[in-house]
Amino acid sequence: MDTNHNPSMQKATEELISSLLASEAFVHYQHAEDRLVDDTQARSLLEQLSKVQAEMRKKQNNGRLSKDEIDSLRALQGQVQSNDVIQGYGQAQQEAVNLLREINDEINQLLGINFATFANHSTC
Amino acid sequence: MDETMSEGIEIASPSVVKQKARDFAAALSETAQFKTYEHTAYAFRKDQTAQQAMQTYQQKQQSLRALLTLNALNAEQRDELERLKSEFIDRPVVQAYVQAQEELVSLCQTLGDSISKSIGLNYAASCGVSCCG
Repeated sequence: MDTNHNPSMQKATEELISSLLASEAFVHYQHAEDRLVDDTQARSLLEQLSKVQAEMRKKQNNGRLSKDEIDSLRALQGQVQSNDVIQGYGQAQQEAVNLLREINDEINQLLGINFATFANHSTC
Repeated sequence: MDETMSEGIEIASPSVVKQKARDFAAALSETAQFKTYEHTAYAFRKDQTAQQAMQTYQQKQQSLRALLTLNALNAEQRDELERLKSEFIDRPVVQAYVQAQEELVSLCQTLGDSISKSIGLNYAASCGVSCCG
């Protein structure tokens, strides 16, 4: 990390990262991610859903979406939503995101700027 | 350090993580980039001429918003808008503020990227920041 060779900044950043990774939310998130990586069925379902959604978007743009296709997408979405490993991953990720938001609020209160906004790369 | 053990992993409590966040903010507030940003932002807020130039430019922009959206400004309107914009952004106090902001953004991006890479989640996106802030 290059923070213009500022040792205090580098140390504070590393310590924040270490504490985040050691937080309950991120430990759960890491476990949930490991479970997802190890579960071929869950990963296959997610890949399938992503592929079907991409195909549907293309077809929808061309106005050629049949009721059967919509039904099969819904069935696949149902399988994804009822998969415990995927559900667990989604919930764990949300908990980690919630912690990041709390942390960002904490940083913002001290700085008087929104750190996440300044750290954002995207532009409109 | 207020930590508990879970499945052999040392868990950092929320209060510990929040303290680390405050330490991070304190370190950032001590950087040259942040201090310069604060000084230039203060100077910009206190400069009545710059504030007036900003308001005049923004009011004109607002009054022409519909035409701007349609890209339908005539040459006279476009020239006037450009002139007001220059009168605002060419002021040294504004230029100093913009440059300081760019330098602080660059530092925050480096720090945010480092956090994102280490935790496996995009920090800014997770905090609900979209392309429009």
